[in-house]
Amino acid sequence: MSIQFKALTFGYTESGKPLFSDFSAEFEKEKVTILTGASGCGKSTLLYLAAGIYPHGGGFLQNGSVTVENVSPEPLPPKERCLLAGMMFQNPELQFCMDTVKNELVFCLENICTSPKSMEKAIDQALDFCEIRHLKDRTLLSLSGGERQKVMLACITALRPKWILLDEPFANIDNEAAGAIARKLKELHQTFHMGILAVDHRLDNWLSIADEVRVLENGALLPGAINPASFDGKFLESHGIITPGHSYGPKLPPPEPGETVLELKGVSLSYGKQDILKNVTASFRRGIIYAVVGESGCGKSSLFGALSGLHKYRGTILFQGNDLKKRRKKLSGRMGFVTQNPQDQFVGGTVRQEILTSLKGNPKAADISEEILRGIRLWRYRDVSPYLLSQGQQRRLGVAALMAYDCHALICDEPTYAQDRNNTIAIMESLCQQARLRHAALIFSTHDRQLAKDYADEILQLKGGMLHALPKPGM
Amino acid sequence: MRSLNPACKFAGLLAVTFVLAWRHDPVLNLMVFLLSILLILSAQVKVKSLFLLLSPVLLFAAGMFFTGFYFSAGGDMPVSEKTMAFASSSFWNGLTLASRVLAYAGTGYLFALTTDRILLIRSFQKQFHLPQIFAYSLLAAWGILPHMMQEYRRTRAAFQARGIHTFAASPALLSPLLVKSVRWSEELSIAMESKGFSGHEKRTDFQPVRVHGYDWLFLGFCLIVFPVAAVFI
Repeated sequence: MSIQFKALTFGYTESGKPLFSDFSAEFEKEKVTILTGASGCGKSTLLYLAAGIYPHGGGFLQNGSVTVENVSPEPLPPKERCLLAGMMFQNPELQFCMDTVKNELVFCLENICTSPKSMEKAIDQALDFCEIRHLKDRTLLSLSGGERQKVMLACITALRPKWILLDEPFANIDNEAAGAIARKLKELHQTFHMGILAVDHRLDNWLSIADEVRVLENGALLPGAINPASFDGKFLESHGIITPGHSYGPKLPPPEPGETVLELKGVSLSYGKQDILKNVTASFRRGIIYAVVGESGCGKSSLFGALSGLHKYRGTILFQGNDLKKRRKKLSGRMGFVTQNPQDQFVGGTVRQEILTSLKGNPKAADISEEILRGIRLWRYRDVSPYLLSQGQQRRLGVAALMAYDCHALICDEPTYAQDRNNTIAIMESLCQQARLRHAALIFSTHDRQLAKDYADEILQLKGGMLHALPKPGM
Repeated sequence: MRSLNPACKFAGLLAVTFVLAWRHDPVLNLMVFLLSILLILSAQVKVKSLFLLLSPVLLFAAGMFFTGFYFSAGGDMPVSEKTMAFASSSFWNGLTLASRVLAYAGTGYLFALTTDRILLIRSFQKQFHLPQIFAYSLLAAWGILPHMMQEYRRTRAAFQARGIHTFAASPALLSPLLVKSVRWSEELSIAMESKGFSGHEKRTDFQPVRVHGYDWLFLGFCLIVFPVAAVFI
């Protein structure tokens, strides 16, 4: 029993070059398989095809077939399809349509026409299996990312599909929750004989449960499965996969410490009764690259939110001696914010306007904007909406737009979030190079320790609401 | 009030507001308002939160009172007392306007504060035959709202960081939101489909929302007793 792709030709446009042509592969139910590869290699597409979401949800299947347990999933009605293959997605916030955990499970069971009498029992069993009985009557909004993914797992457990397909389910959650979910997946695989096929470009959380790792590249599977017990980091790295404990190989000029640019004095922040930041005191200097590390939910985003004016805080934040609470408007442009999603920072209607906004008041704006756009190889897209650029192009434009200001500090919240190895390197190189060139302070957050170790001059850890300096190994 | 069938409650209270629209009687309005408040309090809504919700309404009602009080139709105004007279004295006129605000707010809050939205939509689906695809997309859209709010604040902060100062709900802020909400709804619909939902297939119902005897009593009161009483007061 298996998932089979036979002579598949599939693309997102009808006439262009297809993403897969004459692609064949088989994934066996007996093995927990991780499918990996660089961003955009089409690994998620394969998953969506197996779940029967494509081609009717997008793309064109020109040739070939997809079968799960010898059944083609696409023509089936959703309530039968979900019994064949259940899916778990990357974003834990956009998977639910009801208000509470129990109602969401009821929704799933109603869809597959479970009799109302047996629902209560099925719900309790699924929750017990995932060890989240205590969340039964909580609202989904009040749950953390990790808890939501556990609820999603409970939904799958209740539906009992023959296969579980996972699309980077750990991208938004901390390692502890990811580990717990991985263990439960293994248990589902062993007790209920559910097949597991997961797609991820990070392997850390999978190594303990995976039976084999397959690499997808240029629309084809590389020959031979990799056994996770004896895998070759170098080989995977060359295919854009992030493997634990391998350096990104940064190439950066040495730091030149300058004057203090940003100072936090006794900054505290709380949501309701929960204290997120407790009396954080720190100072940041120009010319230095800082990494802020910590588990998901430790308050990294809240700290950056306080800096950007998104969250209210107690205490004082000084930017070049100016209190942020009082003089934020005057400081705009001197402190740049790079958001996780570059789309969040676009303000202009076209690529060129995006840069011109930063140069407002500069008499040579037109020439400088041309120079900048040529520099980042986006000049030919100057009249296009920034939303139409590819992700990598958007990221380049975002950083360039901020750099067009006389920027003294760059603050980046998880700039490499959900990026593969090559993109991660490209993003970090461009950010760090620019910061060094302009002699600006660069502060970035990440939950990737390796990234912090490789690119930062100083590493700060946020734990229990406090910021501690961590010794940097090898310095 | 909480155990009433939401669809019946909706129909009943809607009927009450229609009756109020045709009558300009401050006593009736105030009675409806007081009754609504009593019913809200009996449904264990916190007094403090009710007061907070009512404070803008009270302010608005006071404003309406003074509007009606000072600008009642006199003989020298184009609207004559005969054609548009709500009441004989300016005090009474102000009271009529103010009490209408209170009565509408009271019935509105009575409905909003004592109704569970999931039950409401399920009940619309069952009693008013709302198609399930609409019912569940409404619920899903409701779930996206908090995201929208957060995203809106985030976008605004991003604009501010780049030296662009925007006013609330300006079009520049809304266009990125629009782009994102399309993407979100797509993701959400895929997630719902992968859990077996489709707009047309038959589903089972865990706790069907039924119409009970007391729902009929409530409807009878709102649709028959109240209009008749309103005419005779």
